[in-house]
Amino acid sequence: MIPAPSSVQGSDKIVSITDLRFTYEGGVEAVKDLTLDIRKGDYIAVVGGNGSGKTTLAKNINGLLRPSRGTIMIRGHDASKMAVPEIAKVVGYAFQNPDYQLFCPTVEEEVRFGPSNLGYSHEDVNVKVQRALDAMNLQHLRTKPPLSLRLGERRRVTLASVIAMDPEVFIFDEPTTGLDTEESEMLMQKLRNLNAEGKTIILITHDMRLVSEHAKRVVVMSQGRVILDSDPRGAFADLDILRKSNLEPPAVTKLAHALKAYGVPVDIISPEELVFHLLRGSEG
Amino acid sequence: MVGFVDLYTEGDTFLHRMDPRVKITSVILLSILAFVLSSLEALGLLLLLIMALVVLSRTPISKTAFAFKFVFRLMVLIVILWPLFDRSGEPVIASLGPLRLTEPALLRGLTSATRIGCLATVWYILMFTTQQRDIVRALVKMGVRFDFGLTLAISLRFFPTFGATIGSIMDAQRARGLEFGRGGLLKRTRNYVAVLVPAIVSAMRTADGLSWALQSRAYGARPDRTYLRDFRMRWSDYASLMAVVLILALPLTAKLALGMDL
Amino acid sequence: MPALLMRDVRFKYRGSSDYALDRVSLEVEKGEFVTILGANGSGKSTVCLLANGLIPHAVPGDLEGKIEVFGEDTSKSTVAGLSARVGIVFQEPESQLFCMSVEEEVAFGPENLGIPRHEIRERVEWALELVDMKGYNERSPFSLSGGQKQRVAIAAALSMHPEMLVLDEPAYALDPVGRIGLYSVLRELRGRHGTTVLLAERDAEEAAAFSDRIVIMNKGRVVQTAPPREALCSPDNLRGMGIQPPQVSEIASLLNSRLSTSRYSFLNVEEAESTIAREIFKKKGRSAR
Repeated sequence: MIPAPSSVQGSDKIVSITDLRFTYEGGVEAVKDLTLDIRKGDYIAVVGGNGSGKTTLAKNINGLLRPSRGTIMIRGHDASKMAVPEIAKVVGYAFQNPDYQLFCPTVEEEVRFGPSNLGYSHEDVNVKVQRALDAMNLQHLRTKPPLSLRLGERRRVTLASVIAMDPEVFIFDEPTTGLDTEESEMLMQKLRNLNAEGKTIILITHDMRLVSEHAKRVVVMSQGRVILDSDPRGAFADLDILRKSNLEPPAVTKLAHALKAYGVPVDIISPEELVFHLLRGSEG
Repeated sequence: MVGFVDLYTEGDTFLHRMDPRVKITSVILLSILAFVLSSLEALGLLLLLIMALVVLSRTPISKTAFAFKFVFRLMVLIVILWPLFDRSGEPVIASLGPLRLTEPALLRGLTSATRIGCLATVWYILMFTTQQRDIVRALVKMGVRFDFGLTLAISLRFFPTFGATIGSIMDAQRARGLEFGRGGLLKRTRNYVAVLVPAIVSAMRTADGLSWALQSRAYGARPDRTYLRDFRMRWSDYASLMAVVLILALPLTAKLALGMDL
Repeated sequence: MPALLMRDVRFKYRGSSDYALDRVSLEVEKGEFVTILGANGSGKSTVCLLANGLIPHAVPGDLEGKIEVFGEDTSKSTVAGLSARVGIVFQEPESQLFCMSVEEEVAFGPENLGIPRHEIRERVEWALELVDMKGYNERSPFSLSGGQKQRVAIAAALSMHPEMLVLDEPAYALDPVGRIGLYSVLRELRGRHGTTVLLAERDAEEAAAFSDRIVIMNKGRVVQTAPPREALCSPDNLRGMGIQPPQVSEIASLLNSRLSTSRYSFLNVEEAESTIAREIFKKKGRSAR
């Protein structure tokens, strides 16, 4: 049974962040007093411009950075008492640049690397690796050297290597940068599949178009704080919030806002919706 | 994050204003002096002179402290290790089995340490008061080929960038469960491969991009390139240079020609 | 004399079995702002590298066909030689800025050309002003944001006073603020200075509005050359070729299909807004409240 993304029950909080503060060496306070609950099965987009703190937040969640203040609970356990590999079993992080990770002679070994480090049994690792290769359509490439592949394929290898670690929560950092429309859509479909299986997805991006097409919940960050946490419609309805966090609303949203005097609702997030509202009551 | 500590601090002291070529030459001359002098008193005086220059450079304590912690530790290390290898002379201050601590050896150790202190500190003055690019530019003006100067400049420029890249690679691999510093020798070596390979690939990609960029900006188009940044010697620079030459010449003459024990 | 002339060009990268360019012919006139739209592997980057001579001089492969830049055969020149006339900006901000300060970076090109010092100073100031980086002379590249780095890269190319500027996916690595800054610089360039610009992009959103002409490439071939309105009028086709169409095109296309017409085409939000207000709302008697 797939647990539905719930906004009602508080009991299935998988990541719970309370009063998080993080200051880098050198004094930059990247995250300030942040409280956020992530529920199992959520599909959250964390958005904000450069310097908004979204990457810092993500790295605090998976333990690469440790909070200066505040607590992070992962599945009910205090993350500060967990080593990074332990957290990695629950929270998988797919970095933006695949070339910062690939080093094995074959795709299969690359995908095997993560789960092997986590101490799973040999048989377990095999199962996870094959499943990940299947999920990312990489079986036909599994003996190839990862560095010889195209960008889209290299991305899929790094995603497969995270999937093979079999976490409950996935953090994806700008997964579609540099990809064609087709590759991008295929990849986002994979993310949708993962979410449908009950996995929690945290998408870090500044591409509002992507957000409008995929996320169920949007957390807008600016200067280390969360300035909005709502469903995508709520986020797009407020142009000021988007501008404040150095984000560019998609053209369809800008157009909806420009036409609001004519009765067009402002929380429109797709061209189809907009056209529907434009023609509503004026056809025939 | 790994990063290169840039020792330069902006300022308006006479050291900052001095022509970088004079500074480089002075540092070389003072280094020669440090080798020429052999008495503890003379070297001690030189060290004091150099420390005075550091104070005059008005470099903030945060940077000088970092630099001098290193020099100080080095000096202490030399003083401690020296008598272990040099056990000759009288009188003996202390002895433990085959080890003998003699007064002359201790003095020689102190002298060496002071010499090293002078050598290290004088180069720090150059770095506290001169921007990296001015050092490179000065070297080229003094006759180093532009190619070498550019190579040096590019290396310095990419040092912190590369440090950041390696930091990111380590983060990415740690997120895959990699733990550095743990495990047997084989595992630890494999762990470093996980950082080394992406780092080298990244470096090679950058190098490719660099070579395209250099060519696209006409690098090597003509043998006679011009330089936007230029220095011209002023009378104060000549005066400083003369002062340093004198500081070198006087003790040198005294020692070699007059046989004084300096 | 066109700024760039390519006639029946075929090119295969060394070690590759496919042709990156397969009988490509295209021309860019002086003063034009041309955007090449194409997905990864379409050949748009290859065209950029051909325009300044990096292919064939720095990139090995099999090249056939004629390539002339301002009448000069690129295979008979050198990259350094062509660089005075063709400036190029790559997609990776990090590796194209190699000097220790912004000023040095922008001065590097003219220095190599032997330009006299006072003129270099003028060019540096002019170029920095143009890319909205005035006053950043002493900053190190390490301290700049991605968008700022790319603008410095543009300045570093412009200070050589090239007659044509080529940009290969310059906004690739940038966040929204960086993209906007970059495109406003390009808009400025087109409006004020008459520099020929060749821009390669995967996403049509920004370039649509201010290009003179759009060249659509797919799998090493030129599929279409047309003014923006025409080139972007069928978003499904574009998406099928891996190119992200502008959302306003998608809106126009949807309107056309719902209203069984083909007269709507929008190049930007402003145009969409005024056309829709005028034609759909006012005509149908729906007025602003």
